[in-house]
Amino acid sequence: MSLNPTLPRFAVLQLSGCAGCEVSLINASEWVEKYQLVYMPLVVSTHAVPEDTEILLVSGGVRNDEDVWNLRHAAEIVDRVIAVGTCAISGGVANLGDRDDVRAMFMSQASRHHVPHLLPKSHPIDAFVDVDLYLPGCPPTPELFMGALTGPENFEASSIVCQECGRKKLKDMRPTHLVGFQQGEVLPDICLINQGYLCVGSSTRGGCRAICTRPGHPCVGCRGPSNAYIEKESSVWFDRVQKVFENMTDIPPEEIREALHSPQLSMFLFQFTDYQGGDRPPRPKEKVL
Amino acid sequence: MTTLRFPLSRIEGHARVEMEVQDGKVVSAQFQAIEMRGFRYFMLGTPAEQMPVIVPRICGVCSTAHHVASVKALEDIFEVEPPKLAKEIRELLLLGQLIQNQATSLFIFTMPDRVGASSIFHMDESEADPEQQLSLAQRALKVRQAGTNLITLAGGQFIHPIKAIIGGVTSGIKPEPAQKMLAEMEALLPVVCTLFDEYWEMSLKMKERIGTWGDDQPAYYIASTGRTGLELNSDMIRILGPNGTERASFPPRQFRTYLDYQDTEYSYAGQTSYQGEVMRANSLARINLANATGTPLADEYMQKLTHAFGKPAHPILLFDLCRGIELVYAFERAIEMLSQDLEYEDPSLPYALKDGEGFGLVEAPRGPLIHHYTVKEGLITDAEFIIPTTHNMLAIERALKVAGDRYVTPEGINLELEKAVGRVVRAFDPCIACATQ
Repeated sequence: MSLNPTLPRFAVLQLSGCAGCEVSLINASEWVEKYQLVYMPLVVSTHAVPEDTEILLVSGGVRNDEDVWNLRHAAEIVDRVIAVGTCAISGGVANLGDRDDVRAMFMSQASRHHVPHLLPKSHPIDAFVDVDLYLPGCPPTPELFMGALTGPENFEASSIVCQECGRKKLKDMRPTHLVGFQQGEVLPDICLINQGYLCVGSSTRGGCRAICTRPGHPCVGCRGPSNAYIEKESSVWFDRVQKVFENMTDIPPEEIREALHSPQLSMFLFQFTDYQGGDRPPRPKEKVL
Repeated sequence: MTTLRFPLSRIEGHARVEMEVQDGKVVSAQFQAIEMRGFRYFMLGTPAEQMPVIVPRICGVCSTAHHVASVKALEDIFEVEPPKLAKEIRELLLLGQLIQNQATSLFIFTMPDRVGASSIFHMDESEADPEQQLSLAQRALKVRQAGTNLITLAGGQFIHPIKAIIGGVTSGIKPEPAQKMLAEMEALLPVVCTLFDEYWEMSLKMKERIGTWGDDQPAYYIASTGRTGLELNSDMIRILGPNGTERASFPPRQFRTYLDYQDTEYSYAGQTSYQGEVMRANSLARINLANATGTPLADEYMQKLTHAFGKPAHPILLFDLCRGIELVYAFERAIEMLSQDLEYEDPSLPYALKDGEGFGLVEAPRGPLIHHYTVKEGLITDAEFIIPTTHNMLAIERALKVAGDRYVTPEGINLELEKAVGRVVRAFDPCIACATQ
């Protein structure tokens, strides 16, 4: 908590998002002794990224023309750009608006004249600037933030959420249907798939320490696919989830397929490859923490 | 005509203030929300049961309030009443949110104004004794962390909680983690009180420095807390008149009868009024509307405030002191609840999907929050989010005008205005991510 000039200087640029990533960063108080926070409008009264900033964390998606300007300008100044959270990586929850009917409503009802103008859709930040590291999560945990700041080589994690969860997989407990997304009692210590929940932790990248599945909520895949799938089309990931359910349950495959395409999963499941209509190259796994 | 534009920091989300000045007089003061993502549009077609997991993403600061309001709106449609234990766990969740939020607003957003620093992370650059400032910041962050820990314990995830479900919550709280949380909060309660005492002193000093408590004209107040306690999970909204008499009390289903809503061209957020009158939501409204907080230490602070400023109290910088009272209350109430059994019954009831229209109300840190959904064949066909910050929009603009009139004269513009604009806006602790969604 000081202005020691020898500490590395970092800035946090908030684009259109929910500030959950920033709140998580504030929770990760260990950086306070090791880094110097020079710009983050949520907590610091400065109105521009200073010239000698080294690291730029960007949260939120690009939703309006001011986001574009702020992003381009800040990225030019710094040495290293880190895309933080699902919105910066893929547009996140705002990407659910990437539908013709919704876009028409935005343009006809939501736009305003006297304020930054909305773009027709939400964009990931690497549509505008080069990104050195992607930090997926909605939001990434404080521990992941520290990993991103200090360097991925110092961060140890399992490859998938399943390995961090610790719930037991049972051979003889095979549900025949998915239980309603929010319905039913959750048994402790037993795999959520055995209990009929649509949990995608079996191929979602680890590092979050399974904070959702341990208290009993199925993994929605907010960290994106594990390294095995990250450079492939999301259909490969979907097939993999499908296979896990075929092996562990007697739920009809169509039921799984339909559920996987529902909004609350798809806003996370598409975040690495089929973003931007699938016309961009995949992000290399070496650049993802 | 000159337009003054003030960027804002240390608030939640993207907003700015524009003042039009002509012949040394402020002609207008606009509070502009300058971002929008469009939840009310892109939620259409979403399976209703997924709302409680998606809508916390409206705001990472107020996520808990959205999570619970969403579940309550769906319970209204599916006609299921959650068990008592579930309501208790949800109250703990909302208390965690209140602690995290009020600590953030008091110590991260507004305390730097009181010590002359740019942020809580740069307190040693302030004019006061560096050692003392550092200790202040460290204690403040610890208090805030306790709120986050309580959200994690009661909500399952630390930013976007997951444990509230239609019909209840996924699980109670086991004795061991409850005891651990209890111990943490009991140890911190005296720290909270000392911090608040220091904050109170700093605020009084600031009064002398700026010579005013800001816009102190009477206003209407809106809150959904009780008359004898700061309950956060009630089902009625109340309106207090400027002279302290209650003007209305209504369930969320009737909000349109009492509240007028309008959009503006200069902001992505709308504005509400009570039948055309300026009203205020957030901490000052709750304290003005309650005769007591319901816990001993917080009640003492409440009496101290009433003794000093009367009731209802109107100066806007009292919002901050009321936040402090609520911070003490939330600690005391959570300590009470964590001392009891939190696993005594099945925490959820079954329900069946059905069509209909429903309303979910919670008292968020910034005021009453309503989620209003229509469901057909399991899908959302209409979603409306009535956000506490919009209830404060007209009051913010009125207070900005007061600040403008004070610092803009025919002789010139006093540069103190920029700081005053920041202090005025922060007093209301607006949330722009929520207000625009």
